[in-house]
Amino acid sequence: MNKSQSPPHFFLRLFRCFCHPDYAEDIEGDLLERFDNRVHKVGHRKARQAFVWDVIRLFRPGLIRPISGSQKLNLYDMFTNNFKIAWRGLLKQRTYAAIQIGGLAIGIASCILISLFIKDEVSYDTHYEDGERIFRLANAYTDANDFGRWTLIQAPVRSILYESFPEIEKVSRIVVREWKNAGDNQFRKVESKRNIYEKGFIYADPEILEILEVPMIYGVQKDALKQPNSIVLSRSKAEKYYPNENPVGKQIALNDGETVLTIGGVMDDFPGTSHLQYDFIITLADFEFWPGEQTNWCCSNYEYYLKLKPGTDKMALEKKLLYIRDNFVIPQLEARGATDVEDVKKFRSYYLQPVSNIYLNPDEVGDGLPSHGVLDVVRVLAIIAVIILLLACINFVNLSTAKSANRAKEVGLRKVIGSSRLDLIYQYLSESLLYSFSAILLGAMVSWFVLPWFNALTEKAISFPWMEWWFVSSLLLGVVVVGILSGGYPALYLSAFKPADVLKGKLRLGSRNVPLKNGLVVFQFVTSIVLIIGAMIVHRQMDFFLNKKLGFSKDQVITIESADTMGESRQAFKEALLQQSDVKQVTVSSYLPIAETAVNNYEFWQRGRKELDPGVEARVWSVDADYIETLGMHLVSGKDFLPSSNSDKESIIINQKMADLLNLDQPIGATLVSNFGSPRRVIGVVEDFHFGSLAGPIGPLCMLPGKSGSQVIVKVESEDMEKTMQSITSLWDDFMPNQPIRYSFLDERFANTWTNRMLNRIESIFLVFAGLAISIACLGLFALSAFMVEQRAKEISIRKVLGASIKSILVLVTSGFVKLVFAAMLIAIPIGWYFMRQFLADFAYRIDLSWDVFLTSGLLAVFIAVLTVGHQALKVAFSNPVDSLRDE
Amino acid sequence: MGKYQLGEFEEVVMLTVCILHGEAYGIAIIEEMEKRLGRKVSIGALQTVLRRLEKKGLLESEFGEATKVRGGKRKRYFQATQLGKKVLQDTKEQRLGLWAAIPNMAFNE
Repeated sequence: MNKSQSPPHFFLRLFRCFCHPDYAEDIEGDLLERFDNRVHKVGHRKARQAFVWDVIRLFRPGLIRPISGSQKLNLYDMFTNNFKIAWRGLLKQRTYAAIQIGGLAIGIASCILISLFIKDEVSYDTHYEDGERIFRLANAYTDANDFGRWTLIQAPVRSILYESFPEIEKVSRIVVREWKNAGDNQFRKVESKRNIYEKGFIYADPEILEILEVPMIYGVQKDALKQPNSIVLSRSKAEKYYPNENPVGKQIALNDGETVLTIGGVMDDFPGTSHLQYDFIITLADFEFWPGEQTNWCCSNYEYYLKLKPGTDKMALEKKLLYIRDNFVIPQLEARGATDVEDVKKFRSYYLQPVSNIYLNPDEVGDGLPSHGVLDVVRVLAIIAVIILLLACINFVNLSTAKSANRAKEVGLRKVIGSSRLDLIYQYLSESLLYSFSAILLGAMVSWFVLPWFNALTEKAISFPWMEWWFVSSLLLGVVVVGILSGGYPALYLSAFKPADVLKGKLRLGSRNVPLKNGLVVFQFVTSIVLIIGAMIVHRQMDFFLNKKLGFSKDQVITIESADTMGESRQAFKEALLQQSDVKQVTVSSYLPIAETAVNNYEFWQRGRKELDPGVEARVWSVDADYIETLGMHLVSGKDFLPSSNSDKESIIINQKMADLLNLDQPIGATLVSNFGSPRRVIGVVEDFHFGSLAGPIGPLCMLPGKSGSQVIVKVESEDMEKTMQSITSLWDDFMPNQPIRYSFLDERFANTWTNRMLNRIESIFLVFAGLAISIACLGLFALSAFMVEQRAKEISIRKVLGASIKSILVLVTSGFVKLVFAAMLIAIPIGWYFMRQFLADFAYRIDLSWDVFLTSGLLAVFIAVLTVGHQALKVAFSNPVDSLRDE
Repeated sequence: MGKYQLGEFEEVVMLTVCILHGEAYGIAIIEEMEKRLGRKVSIGALQTVLRRLEKKGLLESEFGEATKVRGGKRKRYFQATQLGKKVLQDTKEQRLGLWAAIPNMAFNE
């Protein structure tokens, strides 16, 4: 037949493809006959068209190929057969299958949990509709050897931003640091008498609700904070105090009537993935912290949030913002006679931080927010997740290749019967797919089960996304990836057997892949040992922090909070406390030597040097005469404040660090000046004590006399703390019948500071994953040794018959594996040392890396490995040789 | 097997197969129907019905010899089974019974 006279080839093929194979021959004949008839009748072109139409109309349910079950669809049968064989293999060797699947499931469960954690961490502040237009303004300081960014900015910048920058749509400042009513307060409705302690207060401009797109329950976003002295409550707090009513317009009192505010609206709670987590927003409208504060350039106390107009160029705006530096900040500095004006001109600039970056803070902008994600933790966890999964896959590879000995005959027979290598690869891959599917199902269930515990560990509220399409599809993707990752090598290895060799029994079983197998075992143990080292070092560092000599005494110190509502009767309360038998000392102050305390910084100079030296920015604490003694600090020279002396009004006590920084050779009697208040004479120098996070060095600090602190700090010497607390509580109730006592212990508060909590979390994370890694590695080792013993059962029995001792058999079985673990230890120690040195470099006060940590972790791994293998070795060493030789 | 009610197209196909008596294969049936009834029939429609009737046991089929035409594909010849013939007969009698029951005036009006 001439080619141009043939029917459309593609459609003929298509027909063959979809037609039921039983009917294909005669219908194709009909098609062709009809086509030929038509060519004669209506010509070639029309015949071809009609042919296409005929083929299309043959696509009918009665005529098309069924999806399964016709003889030509051999693939489907092989597929089901492969799974059947895999399933039988699984049932036949239950222990090994359980180890393979269980190991994988553990790996996958930790992978799922870590992925959920990471997803939650990176999803912070992504919920804003105009998220790409919301920024936080920060200062930047960049010179050759110093680089820093921080958020605090002066109050008057707000009006300049509105006046001179048309590309800025909205500006809001917030105050999150404990200052006046920011932080925590005693809260009550005006009409009620009972004070209730509440946290989570901030100050903010009215625009904050619009900038952060906060949904409102009652009130209007735009107006809720417009009126002076208004406050917005979160939904949960509104429900607590005003269940089922609209509280807008109601009045509340803070700190027993010290401040009265009107509720302007109720906002929805901040979502869990917002970097801001506050329940009460107090307006900054027409508000001043002190007279003239809002127009004063002296102090930087505000964090700025901006919403830009659409299409604004961030870089260009950052450049333009230098206008503020040049026209306002620098003239102010010059007027004050600051010495660093030149540096400011050269190195200071402004930086716009996208809102979605605030939580994880990759730009390391310093701010006062209580919690940040730690980018390094996210990174380390991601690496750990991958490694644990790899470890689990390695078990699978090792066991499958080891088991190949048993399956060599199967492979040989299959090949003889006519199986191609590709078929065998498919077979083994479908086997590993079955395993990885079961493992992932099991792993997902396990991770679902331990999620509440994981949430507690990470202080998160992650829910399990069973129904989310991305989760299900990534699980399915996981099945394929893990299946191929773990089944790929065994499939290639097994399918390469030469049938003649295996069937004759020539193959030296498992000899070819020994280096690979050993390498994989070593890798597993290297990882485990590194993780154990990590856990131990973090634990020691933590221990070091908690037990470090801090320069003050934190044991048996009770802090009674929110005592400022007591007003003048604080002194009487203090006297009454001192009457109690267990109470040794009492002091009143808002300041505590832990990282999470009120913060107040001034700049100081020696008198007469203000124009010559850069100022020393020091923490300023207001304390009473008993403070130093109560907290067990030491004066290295000079004397303490006097309990009731007016001359002390101009006195100051500084720490050693501050004396150093001010170059005071004779600190006692020196006079210091600052931008606030009158000059002060140094009357004492207190020995340096830790008051910030232990991650950083001790900074300069000074104490001024004052009696208006918000906390009563009590040093007790008590055998029975419960009884002591009961008597203190009843005393408090006499003074403050309307406000329940709120107290804590200083050592607990210290252990709960952010750095310590963080370290604690890192330690538990290391501990958990080190445990997982080593258990996965040991599972693998257990299975490998069990398998080896099974393979060599006859050899060992013959050795026994010939008189080998139990000891020599134990050595024979265990030595190979123990050698591997020793090798792993040698590799792991330098790696662990390197990483841990990096980790500790971040701490100003840190432990030394001592060799015993490394040795202990290595030996621990060896010990666990010996235990694992030893069980098998003992079993075979004590077995009766007859049992395995009987069938020869 | 319960009484099988033939559809209209099925009935026509069955009758055509009987007409062709031993020469009934796909294209021949289509051409016969086109010639006698003047209706266009697609291969798809016809084949579906043929297979269905075969499954019901009203038709049976066998392959003929391969020839050089038709790309060397064999023809499948269809033939009515005993059951098929009976069903056709029944259908015819039903129709006749219906015709007979029509009063004369129905057509004369």
